[in-house]
Amino acid sequence: MVQTRQTLSSQAAAHAPFLRAPEASRSIFVVMFAAACAPLGAGVVLFGWRALAVAGLSVGGCVLTETAYYRVTRTPALLGRSHAALTGLLLALTLPAFVPWYVPLTGAVFAIIVGKAIFGGMGHFLWQPALVGRLAVGVIFAPPLLPIDLLNPQQWPVLAVNRVILGDVRQTRSVRAVRDWQRTPAPPQADAFKTRRPREMLRELTGPGEARPASIVDTLRRMPPVRDLLLGAHGGDIGETCVLVILVAGLYLVYRNYVRGFLPGMFILAAVVTAAIAPVRAGQGQSWKWLPIASEGLDVGFSYVAYHLTCGEIMLAAWFLATEMTSRPVTAPAQAIFAAGCGATAVLLRLYTPLAIPAYAAVLGWNTFTPVLDVIRPRVLGQKRFWQRWREPRPAE
Amino acid sequence: MLRRRFGTFTGGIDIPDDKEATLDAPIAPVGRLERLRVPLAPVPAEPARPVVRPGYRVADGQKLAEADSPEQVAVFAPLAGRVARFTEALVPAHPSGWRVSPAIELTDLGRPEGIRPLPTTYQWQAADDGSLRLRVAEGGLVTSGSPPTALAGWVEAARRAKVHTLIANVMENTPFVTADHRLLAEHGGEVMRGLVILARAIGVTEAMLAVDLRRTGAYQAAVGPAHLHGVDAIALAHKYPIGAEPILVKVLTRREIPLGRRAFSIGVATTDAATCWATYQWVACGVRPTARVVTVAGPRVGAPGNLLVPFGADAGEVLALAEVRGDEPAIHGPAMTGRMLPPEAVVTGQTNALLALEPPPAGVPTPCIRCGWCTDNCPARLNVAALNDDFELGRTERARRRGALACVGCGICSYVCPARLPLARRVGLLMQAIREEQTAAPARASQ
Repeated sequence: MVQTRQTLSSQAAAHAPFLRAPEASRSIFVVMFAAACAPLGAGVVLFGWRALAVAGLSVGGCVLTETAYYRVTRTPALLGRSHAALTGLLLALTLPAFVPWYVPLTGAVFAIIVGKAIFGGMGHFLWQPALVGRLAVGVIFAPPLLPIDLLNPQQWPVLAVNRVILGDVRQTRSVRAVRDWQRTPAPPQADAFKTRRPREMLRELTGPGEARPASIVDTLRRMPPVRDLLLGAHGGDIGETCVLVILVAGLYLVYRNYVRGFLPGMFILAAVVTAAIAPVRAGQGQSWKWLPIASEGLDVGFSYVAYHLTCGEIMLAAWFLATEMTSRPVTAPAQAIFAAGCGATAVLLRLYTPLAIPAYAAVLGWNTFTPVLDVIRPRVLGQKRFWQRWREPRPAE
Repeated sequence: MLRRRFGTFTGGIDIPDDKEATLDAPIAPVGRLERLRVPLAPVPAEPARPVVRPGYRVADGQKLAEADSPEQVAVFAPLAGRVARFTEALVPAHPSGWRVSPAIELTDLGRPEGIRPLPTTYQWQAADDGSLRLRVAEGGLVTSGSPPTALAGWVEAARRAKVHTLIANVMENTPFVTADHRLLAEHGGEVMRGLVILARAIGVTEAMLAVDLRRTGAYQAAVGPAHLHGVDAIALAHKYPIGAEPILVKVLTRREIPLGRRAFSIGVATTDAATCWATYQWVACGVRPTARVVTVAGPRVGAPGNLLVPFGADAGEVLALAEVRGDEPAIHGPAMTGRMLPPEAVVTGQTNALLALEPPPAGVPTPCIRCGWCTDNCPARLNVAALNDDFELGRTERARRRGALACVGCGICSYVCPARLPLARRVGLLMQAIREEQTAAPARASQ
């Protein structure tokens, strides 16, 4: 092994360029890990110490699985652990804080073994490993295999403002709605409120049920205020609720050049456009109405679209999960198409399917097309433009 | 007045310049050398026929070997000395690596001198273009581009290709190297006249001198009267690799060199300061330059400088005179595109720099994580990550369809690669394989 490393490095050093930029793969993962710690911090504030425990179990599980895998297969662990830690952290961000200890560990094992190792490890996997882990636990700990859905209950907890960080998110009490999180103290003998997720309320507009809201305005009135949505004070997975922190951390990644700004930009733009156009069913007539952005006035429409963006996992998927380097396309136009597809699919899945993880499923689905999309690339220097190429006869084979 | 519009290029990066040590160091003669091994085949052709024998004493500038064909060039003694023996030397091959050239070893050398002011012996302004071309051809000069060619042959090829634009590339936007910069700053008038001579010999309608925007202050004396010579002096910003030929041609002429072709195919020729200066020295003053300015620099060099080094000097000897520390091999040429210096290498017309760099940070290549920086920064807009896959799987044909031949060889992909993969080298190997297949294919078809 030592000998192989020396030969490899002497080969690399024998040819131009003889200068190297200081940034290495490991530092990329470390910086992305640090950036992903910001949504985790928000999650710890909002969902208490259990969020930290879930993250610790998930990161530790991923690192241990990776180490064990390399020990068993006896392959060199190049960069394995730093990437495994990042995968574990991203997996934790997509899990609820109230899950039992074995859920993050199971997710970690699936993320590393199924998501990464069977494809050949670092740099070779097709689907974002953290999301593979999330999908696996979402399937395993749900009705066909278990009597209850562990990861997608009817009502979701969030700590009260006077119980943040140290509260236990399992000590909950159901309330109908929290009108102003910052001014509402905890209910008696509980640390957390339990409410329906805002995403589920939006889904009523398109869902199959009979309890249909009278109008879009009616739905929006029953949802938490925008400030709570921005702060993330509503039920959801650990890392996905606090939009402000996700934005700051994501913009830091853009500033460090680890993420091309237009990838999350196209993701969000496509989500906005899809939410603005996709038909909803509101009111007594119960007919599908296209363009919800304009159907009840533009002011209501804009609020509706803004609620779609901020009330769920779209932001986390756009800034942290779709931007995972190995599973996204490489060239700029392919990234734009990929991100737009992810955003549109995320909103469509949220509106018209009962999936628990619509945005994550959208990212996983579009990861599948990454190798195909990578064929799209800008014209190479000196190559003819496509209409010039089209005109000239093809060379005989 | 019509404003000129220049092209742009996507990609490219801002590399630390690191030229402080030699930027203002005047050109100085190299110290006393023990021996010279003057290569008899400075151009990739048959070696020239020696006209001296071991034991002869030769004077400075005396002919050592005679050219028998137009591709060859005659070889002259860079310094006075005694012919010790016939031997061999390593000279840079195209596009990478080294080739062995027969050489004449000279010992008991005279002291190397700096650049002397020379009287003009040939009224080149009064000469017509035909006799000017003849004068250039008589010189037996060698271009300092890669691959080096006989200047006379280069001029004829450019005339056959109906070249209309001649670009002197003095961008030199690569770390450490200041040889062309010093030449233009100190002997700018001669470089400018050399460019005009070449322009008239080829018969171009437009001659351009591309310089770095940050260095225009140093070139006032040379570049100021450029319009009197009919030369457009153009200062460009320094985003690397604007000094690469296809990029500079695109920026200045807004035309792209077609895939796998040379600049001649769109009527453009590029040259550099060293070639222009050598042309002037020969045509106007009747002296064949047998030395060139070499930047000796880098973090391991104790006495960096811009040295006038005779052709055939041992690169190792020049580096030892510059007090190089450590025993890691040095670099021949620019740090981004040069090659590693073997002990038997000698200074030739292509040697614009000898650099002693720190070894690069621990570089164990790891798997590609598809960060896409190579693709983002590629000035040729290549999908380098996909080309890396093609290399690993040996898919030459697919690499050709991806346009691998557009690579300008700037080395940015390897420079930025966080996985420390030797991407530039791999693309270079792919190009070599594609070229070999292309030359093999017509041969198969004719059989």
